[in-house]
Amino acid sequence: MTLLDVRNLRVTFQTETGPVQAVRGVSFSLGRERLGIVGESGSGKTITGRAVLRLIRPPGRVEADAMVFDGQDLLHATDREMRALRGKRIGMVMQDPKYSLNPVMTVGRQLTEGLRLRDGLGRADAGAKARAALEAVQIRDPDRVMDAYPHELSGGMGQRVMIAMMLIPEPDLLIADEPTSALDVTVQAEVLSILDALVRDRGMGLIFISHDLRLVARFCDRVLVMYKGRIVEEIAARDLMAARHPYTQGLLNCLPRIGGPRTPLPGLDRSGAWASGGAP
Amino acid sequence: MSLIEVENLSVTFRAKGREVRAVEGVSLTVAARESYGLVGESGSGKSTILRAICGMAPVTGGRIRIGGQVLPTPRGRAFSAQVQMVFQDPYASLHPRHTIDRTLSEPLAIHGVAGSDARVVQALTDVGLPPSFRFRYPHQLSGGQRQRVAIARALMLQPAILLLDEPTSALDASVQAEVLNLLDGLRRDRGLTFLMVSHDLAVIDHMCDRLLVMQHGRAVEELARDDLAAARMATPYARSLFAASADRMLEPAGGATE
Repeated sequence: MTLLDVRNLRVTFQTETGPVQAVRGVSFSLGRERLGIVGESGSGKTITGRAVLRLIRPPGRVEADAMVFDGQDLLHATDREMRALRGKRIGMVMQDPKYSLNPVMTVGRQLTEGLRLRDGLGRADAGAKARAALEAVQIRDPDRVMDAYPHELSGGMGQRVMIAMMLIPEPDLLIADEPTSALDVTVQAEVLSILDALVRDRGMGLIFISHDLRLVARFCDRVLVMYKGRIVEEIAARDLMAARHPYTQGLLNCLPRIGGPRTPLPGLDRSGAWASGGAP
Repeated sequence: MSLIEVENLSVTFRAKGREVRAVEGVSLTVAARESYGLVGESGSGKSTILRAICGMAPVTGGRIRIGGQVLPTPRGRAFSAQVQMVFQDPYASLHPRHTIDRTLSEPLAIHGVAGSDARVVQALTDVGLPPSFRFRYPHQLSGGQRQRVAIARALMLQPAILLLDEPTSALDASVQAEVLNLLDGLRRDRGLTFLMVSHDLAVIDHMCDRLLVMQHGRAVEELARDDLAAARMATPYARSLFAASADRMLEPAGGATE
């Protein structure tokens, strides 16, 4: 079943030097699966995720032939309808805990705010649910974290707090923007297994935005490779390491490898026809 | 004699009546011109060791010596001429309202080094940036360019030691490759000594001769580069870290690249 369908998405920003198209005609559909979007910074992957939630503010402009979530037209939904979707049905884990958590609220208050206002839970119930969510993302001492302000947490802890916050309302679609890039491999594996369980057990759809090709290859079902606002390649995740597209290959080759040679790492050659917008 | 000697170092933070033992009894030595890596999960104390060397963390036990000398507190000018740090986040580590020129010439002014003009241009060239970048602000540069500026800033006083705190983890794969190549080349050309923190075993393997695996503020195991590649680790934690990085091996499952 299709959960999200996006046809010919274009996002334009006005800059001093004229309009810049950050996303140039992206189409994809998502079922109850793990869809990876990879690309370098500036490739438009984050903007694509934000556009789905209509989080692009004017003068930024979002246009598409269609953008439908579970039968609901996201392009023409009112602001009130969008607010009802955000968080509850479509969650988004933002990239940077330093800028996405409220710096003057304790983690506990931020986690329970939604539970108390939206779900009308009492203080004790909300607190217990928030603590359980923190434990679910492998935070060892939830009580300390509940009382802490965001600046008192490490980047990895902050990121786990954000994941916990987004998972509390049990959304149908989760857009995760680099959710594990501040985590180390062992914790990363735990967080991924939490996300994996949600896709498998609850049938949640997941858009997993990342610049880490190896991670996406291992974790996702399907991968979109983006470059300069376009999808240059769509590929099954298990085939990603054997990708044919020169851009995808270039991204893979410039990664250091354990036991690899000490020679300089190959750079990324952007001289191919694909880089200027032509067909591969 | 080792250039950097850390002996039984402990760092304890106190906040809200709680004590957090970030580093407990860690010892390591780094020889001159060696590149030494620290790996471990976040909160394992690896960055705190770098900060303790710079005098930016409350050391509660142990000794740190550079070139055989116990470091004075506060660290002073002689220290900054010898040891410099490159931070993880080039978006946060450069002053947003200072031009690149000001960022790079400030250490020279503080230390009374003459010829700042030529040195700034040379420093930009050395890290592969055009001299025209001098009068730009950090927000006018990309992440990779900013990290190059941060490296240029660290090298202004021609230190012998660079402390690298996740220098490429905020960067794209292709930019990471460029910055790692730059660091490697600078180390070779100038005979620098690196103490480098990363959570990416493949980056550490590419850059470092030896590495120390840390967990919960303690040293778990020291490994030479060959031992890492051959999976010769003695402790279960180091082994699990290695297993979690299996996709970073030379020949990943599902297709080799070369």
